[in-house]
Amino acid sequence: MTNQKDFPAGPGFNRRTFIGAAAGTAVAPIVAKAAGASGGPAATSDPSLPVDVSLDINSATRSLRIDARTTLLDALREHTGLTGSKKGCDHGQCGACTVLINGRRVLSCLTLAVVAQGQRIVTIEGLAEDGELHPMQQAFVDQDAFQCGYCTPGQIMSGIACVREGHAGSDDAIREYMSGNICRCAAYPNIVAAVRQAARAMSDEQKG
Amino acid sequence: MSITAPEPKANMGQPIPRYDAAAKVTGKAQYAADVPLVNPAYACLVTSSIAKGRIDGFDMTAAKQVRGVIDIVTHENAEQLKEAKLFSNGGYAGTTIQPLKSADVAHTGQIVAVVVAETFEAAQQAAYAMKVNYTAAMPSATFDSAGTTSAPAKGQLAQFKEDPKVGDFAKAFNDAEIKVSAAYETPPQHHNPMELFATSCVWLGDSLTIYEPSQYVYGLKNGVAEQLGIDADKVRVINAYVGGAFGSKGSMTPRTAIIASIARRLGRPVKLVATRAQGFTIATFRAETRHEIQIGARRDGHLTALRHESWEVSSRPDPYAVGGTKTTTRLYACPNIESRVSIVRADRNTPGFMRSPPEVPYMFALESAMDELAVALNMDPVELRRVNDTAKEPISGKPYTSRSLMACYDQGARAFEWEKRSPQPKSMTEGDWLIGYGCATSCYPTQMAPAAARVRLQRDGRVRVEIAGQEIGNGAYTVIGQAAAEKLGVPVEKVSVFIGDSDLPPAPVAGGSNSTASTCSTVIKVCEQVRQKLFEALTSNESLTNEAKGTVGMGQTPSTPSASNDRPLDLERAFDALGVSVVEEYGEWKPEGAPMDSFQAMYKGQVRMVGGSEMKDKIAYAFGAEFVEVRVNKWTHEIRVPRLVGAFAAGHIMNPRTARSQLMGGLIWGMSSALHEATELDERYARYVNDNLADYLVPVNADVSDVDVILVAEQDDHINPAGVKGIGELGNVGTNAAVCNAIFHATGQRLRKLPVRLEKLEI
Repeated sequence: MTNQKDFPAGPGFNRRTFIGAAAGTAVAPIVAKAAGASGGPAATSDPSLPVDVSLDINSATRSLRIDARTTLLDALREHTGLTGSKKGCDHGQCGACTVLINGRRVLSCLTLAVVAQGQRIVTIEGLAEDGELHPMQQAFVDQDAFQCGYCTPGQIMSGIACVREGHAGSDDAIREYMSGNICRCAAYPNIVAAVRQAARAMSDEQKG
Repeated sequence: MSITAPEPKANMGQPIPRYDAAAKVTGKAQYAADVPLVNPAYACLVTSSIAKGRIDGFDMTAAKQVRGVIDIVTHENAEQLKEAKLFSNGGYAGTTIQPLKSADVAHTGQIVAVVVAETFEAAQQAAYAMKVNYTAAMPSATFDSAGTTSAPAKGQLAQFKEDPKVGDFAKAFNDAEIKVSAAYETPPQHHNPMELFATSCVWLGDSLTIYEPSQYVYGLKNGVAEQLGIDADKVRVINAYVGGAFGSKGSMTPRTAIIASIARRLGRPVKLVATRAQGFTIATFRAETRHEIQIGARRDGHLTALRHESWEVSSRPDPYAVGGTKTTTRLYACPNIESRVSIVRADRNTPGFMRSPPEVPYMFALESAMDELAVALNMDPVELRRVNDTAKEPISGKPYTSRSLMACYDQGARAFEWEKRSPQPKSMTEGDWLIGYGCATSCYPTQMAPAAARVRLQRDGRVRVEIAGQEIGNGAYTVIGQAAAEKLGVPVEKVSVFIGDSDLPPAPVAGGSNSTASTCSTVIKVCEQVRQKLFEALTSNESLTNEAKGTVGMGQTPSTPSASNDRPLDLERAFDALGVSVVEEYGEWKPEGAPMDSFQAMYKGQVRMVGGSEMKDKIAYAFGAEFVEVRVNKWTHEIRVPRLVGAFAAGHIMNPRTARSQLMGGLIWGMSSALHEATELDERYARYVNDNLADYLVPVNADVSDVDVILVAEQDDHINPAGVKGIGELGNVGTNAAVCNAIFHATGQRLRKLPVRLEKLEI
């Protein structure tokens, strides 16, 4: 389990305020707020009408008109063409949909797209720069840390967060903090090796 | 070389990184549900809440009011699709239970309606709003439930040809000096690949394209065409990558033709991504099994009598069974053997193959019983296997094409430091932890099936290989590329591999661990055709022996003494002589002993698998030895597995890196089979309870510590041109027994029913 004090929520991404807003009348207040914020014409009391949503994904702004109930995962996959994030359960149980929001790992299947507005979203497609793999991606290649590859985008995003959180100090810590991402092919020992390799490379990069 | 990429031993290829590695770490690998569609409609399934009975009617008022709903399809208005025959009965399907054909319900979670809407969200809302009225009958859930029927597998299942038998078991067991009798049980399990059961169907005129994760694109193409009543040439199945399968995507499920039919009716693409829970009932699963084993032995450990009787659950209409006695009766030398398999019919979805279908449950029983015999004999369990090792299978005396079982035991035991085991149970402890060491034999039949391939060699040395194999995490792209590169003598970077598309030359199902043997043997043969063409063009007037043609690499130094006097092939000159810039060959390959109709069947999407115990005058298996350390906390009974060691011999290893990973995953699957996995059944309603990834336990990273895979060098020239035995299913055979044997060694308690959970320990 993640420790709340280790992960200060980013601006506008506070779990408590979200629950407060969502309680009672369910999605309606968020919808109104979302539509109002973007100034779109869809502001209405009918929750099944689409709303305008603006998302900052991989340093690009994407403007979408989507059902207010659309999860961030479905927004990425069905509405922006970013299908690298995967749907493995849609219940927050498997980790295949993991993305970074303001640097923190988040299950995109449990996040409504409307509440991800104004946040910095990074997906697997946003890691490689000028064709050069991120050290975590390279480590997954080097350590053969996948077989079918379906959980891999989530594992890599989680792995990056795991290192940045300071939870890659030992193999036991990596195992524990990578246990939110299921790999049914069971590449686990190779995933541990990959996170260990990338942790070194990421720390060298920071020093350099 | 790192641990991940082991140094190749004799008869092993290079441990190169996966061909598809970059695509998979960047999110570019396109799985079925990733393929963009133009103006898709989204489908959601409604599944039955009863296991047996009839649908009286639907209340769709609320569902129809959901904005964006396009269509609601039930048995009352669905297109009447043609029957789907079982794959084992000349068809393609994993079940003959066809939803949306009548009001009848045959199992829980059967598809009873499909809601289609403009958005996924609307389809989901409408699906939840559907009300189905049923008249429910009392279902029979499993073994011992009222209303089940039991009958021998032989006679009702064409693929189950015999109950293997030799000698006089009853007399020999009666006369035996040492006897062991025990009963074992394994639970239902679900594959739960990470990728959900997705299907997108797109019609262009009268042609259908299906994007669906399939282990068998040719089978699915032909099966859907048959159900829709259209020409198979009008159907194309595409899946460049499959997000895990483990058997669940091997045969056609009812959903595909249903979605294709709806897409045709609506005149627009339809996309379905079934939920994780629906995956438990709209596809197959590993059924629960029961076993009774009797072993008689001499005091020196030699087996004199063996009997293995088993029962497996299947659905009401379909006689599915894995029938693992074909393996367990042939593994060890024994003159008197008897066996029987029965199928128990219940109100369940039809089961199907799941990773090592026969061997996981049946070898759990045999290898647990062997450990019990070792205890009764006061003999080291490794030595018991050595005493009963055999070069010929005992049922009909056919020789194993190769068998490195004891080499695996010896190398595995050395790596594990088995000699440090003190034989007495409960004799090894550390603080609050009871320590146990256990071992078991692993084996899996070597199987092959016909395939075809197209290979193109360009003047610049680039190669394109086309074969409708499937990448399910088995490293298909990588090993097919390596096979072509090695045969043509070009760098592997110059080879492009195209698989996962039914418009390519046919390959068999990626199942039964036949994929690498079949596809690589075929690619090798077609590469030889390419070489032959070039050599003929160049050397028609030169003296190059046929043997040299077979051994001289293109642009490389001749590799054998007989060829050393000949020049390597000059590619430029060969192309000049032919007057072309590309040589392309199409070829078919079938294994020795394949039936006459093999190739015709291949194009129709039907596999004629050859191998294992069903060859004419030989028997082919891969072997392994697995060693497990368990630690059981004496206060909390928590069970940990700090070490798994497996040594495996499987003929030519195409790529030690991908092979190691696959066997490692197999070992973890085997541990999971012992300690984690079971689909819990509410017997009152014949319903799966834990149909999600939080409650259906699979290992996570924190469950796994040291896993050591040892690849034992082995050469086998009697199986296929690639010399390859399958490894995808080898790793998780016997592991469950090894874990339970280790738990016995740690605690003195023998556990004969899987999975073992801490509440079952009484120490």
